[in-house]
Formats: sequence, C-alpha cells, structure tokens
Amino acid sequence: MATYAEMQQIYDDIRGDFRYDSELNGCLNCGICTATCPAAHFYDYSPREIVQLLWTENVEQIYDAMQEKIWACAQCMTCAARCPFKNSPGGLVAIMREVAIKHEMQSAKDVLRPFGRVMLKLITTGNQLSPDMIQPDHFPDWGPNIQKVEGDLSVLRKAIPVKTLQTVETAWEVSLKTSVEMYTIWEMTGVMKSLELMDENLFDVIEDFIDEKREEYEEWLEEQEDED
Amino acid sequence: MQDTVLIVGAGPAGLSAASTVTASGYKAVVVEKEEILGGAPIISGYAKLVPSGEWAKDAIGRMVSRVEEDSGVTIHKGAKVESLDGEVGSFTAKLSNGETVTAGAIVLATGFTHFDSINKPEWGFGTFEDVLTTTQMEQMVSTGKIACPSDGRVPERVAILLCVGSRDRQIGREWCSKICCTVSANLAMEIKEISPETDVFIYYMDIRTFGLYEDKFYWKSQEEFKTKFVKARIAEVTASPDGRLLVKGEDTLVKRPIIIPFDIVVHAIGMDPNEDNPEIAKVFGIGLEKHGFIERAEHYTNTCGTTRRGIYSCGAAYGPETIDDSISQGAAAASRAVADLNALVQKAS
Repeated sequence: MATYAEMQQIYDDIRGDFRYDSELNGCLNCGICTATCPAAHFYDYSPREIVQLLWTENVEQIYDAMQEKIWACAQCMTCAARCPFKNSPGGLVAIMREVAIKHEMQSAKDVLRPFGRVMLKLITTGNQLSPDMIQPDHFPDWGPNIQKVEGDLSVLRKAIPVKTLQTVETAWEVSLKTSVEMYTIWEMTGVMKSLELMDENLFDVIEDFIDEKREEYEEWLEEQEDED
Repeated sequence: MQDTVLIVGAGPAGLSAASTVTASGYKAVVVEKEEILGGAPIISGYAKLVPSGEWAKDAIGRMVSRVEEDSGVTIHKGAKVESLDGEVGSFTAKLSNGETVTAGAIVLATGFTHFDSINKPEWGFGTFEDVLTTTQMEQMVSTGKIACPSDGRVPERVAILLCVGSRDRQIGREWCSKICCTVSANLAMEIKEISPETDVFIYYMDIRTFGLYEDKFYWKSQEEFKTKFVKARIAEVTASPDGRLLVKGEDTLVKRPIIIPFDIVVHAIGMDPNEDNPEIAKVFGIGLEKHGFIERAEHYTNTCGTTRRGIYSCGAAYGPETIDDSISQGAAAASRAVADLNALVQKAS
C-alpha cells in the first residue's frame, strides 16, 4: 500500500500531463459515458467514476482505480464521442496507465505481463495491416452475422476505393529502414523506457534484437555506398 | 411615423408588446411570418401551459383576439421585413408583401426554433415511430388519448429524455433551455391523468424546476402522479425484437449501466436560436450573442435594447425563456419603444 504522499504524487503526475486539461472540462455526472461503455457492461469499471475521482481530486480512490479498474477500458473512445461536456474519459485512462507504468505499479506489471509475447512479436516483426488481411475467417469474434454484410470485396472496392489498397502486396514484409525508424520513434517517445520499467527481461531481449537490426541496417547502407 | 412601433413576431412576447403599445396611446404594426398569430404555443399545438394549467389555445388565444380586436394594431400575416432604413424616430421597413411601414421604434419578438431531434440520431427520432418530441406528445395529449403511434396500443411505460438539444457540446448547444424540466414534469402528469395505467420515467442530468415550479411540478409529479426520475443521460435508443424501444443508460445513483424497455420515448427538445436569426441580424443591423440569440445592449441600464438604438427585443429571441417571462419582457420592450416615441414628441414641442 502506498503512502498518501506517493498517491498524491501519482495524482500530480496525472494532473500534470499536457493532455489533461483538454481531456477533462468538468463533469455533469450524466453517465452517458458509462452507459455507452462496452467495458462497463462486463467489468467493475465506470468511465464516469474515473472522471469524477479525477475531478474531485480523490487521490486515494484514484490510486485504487489504478490497481485494476483502468485496465478494463478498451480505448474505443465512444465515451469521448458521446460526452455532452466533450470530456475524454478514455483519454484520461490512457494518461493514468502511463503514470501507472512510470511509477512501476505492481498492478500494471501484473496486467501487462501476459502481453509480453505480443509486445515481442510486434516490435520484432511489426504489425502491418492491409485491407486484404481483414478477413472474417481470422476474426471469429465478429460473429456469424458478418457473413451477411460481406459482399464481393473486389466489386465493393471498385465502388468505394480503399486508399491503402496498394499495401496489399507489400505490407507483409517490413522494410529494414522502416523498422529502424520505428525503433528510434519508440526510444524518443518513451515506449522503450516504459517497457524497461515493466519487464526488464523482455526489454533486454528486445534491446538486443534492435541492436542487431541496426547493425544490419548500417551494413546495408555501407553496401549501397560501395556500389555507388 | 413617430406614433408607431413596429413589432416583429406575434408570439406571446410580440402580442404582449403590441397591446402595451396601444394601451400607451400609440399605434402598433405587427409583422408575423406565419399565416396565424400566437407563435410557438399555437403553431406547435402546445397542451396545458405551465404554470397556469390553462390550454394554450385558450390562454394564448385570448392574447391573439385582444390584438386582433385592437383598432390601434395593424397586422401583416405571412410577411417578413426585407429591408430597413433610417434610425430611431424614423425607421422605414419594406415588407415581403410589398407594403412599407414607417415607425419610430422597433420591437423584435422573433422567438426561437424548436431543436430538430434528427440531429441526435442515436436517440431514435426519425428511425422509430414511437420516438416523439415533447411538442408531438403535447399534441397527443390535446387529443385526449395516449397511444403508441406504431400500432395504437396503450403504452405501459413512457420515457422522457431531458436535455435533447440542450447542454450538449457535441452538437454546439451549450445552453440550458430552461423550460424543459418543468414542461416534462407537467407532461408526465398529463399523460398519467389521461392514461393511469401508463408509468412515466424522466431521465435527467439535473432537475431545474426553478422558483415556484419546484413543488407545483417536480414534487407534485412524484407525489401525486408517481413519475420516476432517473439521473442518467441516455446513450442510445434501439428496438427489441418484439417492437418495444430499448433505452440504454447508466443509473448514475445506482452506478450500473441499464437497458430498459419502453413503449414511447419522448425527446424534451430544447430551444434553438430562431433559424432566421442570421437574416434578422443582417436586415435590422443588430448583433447576435455567441450562441446565436439576439445580443443585448448594456445589460442593466438597457436590458431590453439590442445593439442598435431604437430596436428592442424580448422573450426567447434573447435566449430560452418561459411564456410568462416572454409576456413580461414583451411589455417591458414595448415600454422602452414607447419612451423613445415620447422623447420625440417632447423634442418636437
């Protein structure tokens, strides 16, 4: 259990985030966010409660909500689309999650541990999506009715052009240059730092992988120069 | 003419202004864009008014006949002011019917426009037959029978959703429409009175039955008519396979999401600025405030004034307003206009 000073510090870090003021204007306590929230129907999670705790600066309950509740949010942002005050409860949850990681909260580690494999996969092989990858066969959770709304895709795409259709051929393989650029972005935006705080072993594995890729890229660049 | 006040709009505020002008010994010219007088309560067929409980057609009808029978009032129906020249003491207005009106002062009693529920599609208006607006429900009350429009059955449960088109930044309407809480409590009682087997639920963010409306409407609707108030803003209205309406919200006091079946859902629609306001502002050379209602002159010393000298306004043209206060403000604006005419007479003599 954290001390009050620690909980206050956690709140101050949330409050101090540059996005905070644009995500939280006040609250009419109307509950449309919770009513429309898919997670609230299945978990002990209420976006209105999160907003209310933050707005009333209830640092103990905020800390409590960060143990488990905030991790139920699916970040679909329907709450933000509905809120008559134009708050973004989902945006606030995003900030709270980042602060939970920054403070190395055990709850965050517990929640994120199962995603270690996914993280490794994403960072080492990428997560490209092209239109033809979205096939009902791959997404059983879409349910049986999806077949009814599916038509002849090649015909539909002529009627409604998909802007990223040219990626169908290329998206399966990530270019070395893109990967290396992504690593730099992750380092500069603090993703790698967060990863280190949450799972040091995983971080080491990924760090080694990144070093390897960078070396590969340097070699490739040198080869290009030699050819010139 | 220095003995005439031009009044634009013949709702409660405009009718009140016209009668005040003639009672002060001056002439009134009333220009009304609709073919009938009486404004929203008559045109939209309101049922019993708050707080008198008198039928709108009788109460506002009395104001209409007082003006129609007044020899000091000239009425132009189905007409708009198309252009305006001059200044206080000598305005000249050209009307869309080809007539010209000269007046020493002007009162704009141009009112409001009902919010169009189509702009909140998630609440089912226009999609489901049994989703209605408060004005439609009042029309149903006026017929003396409460029934679902889809199949004529008597509804077991009616939901009234407050703040439809009010207090909603998502659709650029940040104001409270002031009257809907009381109107809805009144409507709930009217429904129960006609159809005792129907239960009425009101979904609210805050209840604003201000002043003397608290016990006469908010308390009475609960104590005598068993109206249920639920603190929740509804996320969406959908239909169940058996043809009832499903209302999804969070009961914020019980703190869980809920889905409840209803037979009729009523939108308590708010008051938008008159949709003609941009045109009115241009024709009369006056300002609009940030929501699109008519802008006041100095708030305390010229509260009936617009931003142009000699032009006054009143009622819902200034922002959401009750019928009673619109009537008072119509009289107040007319007094200011008459004071301008008096000043001209004194100057001349």
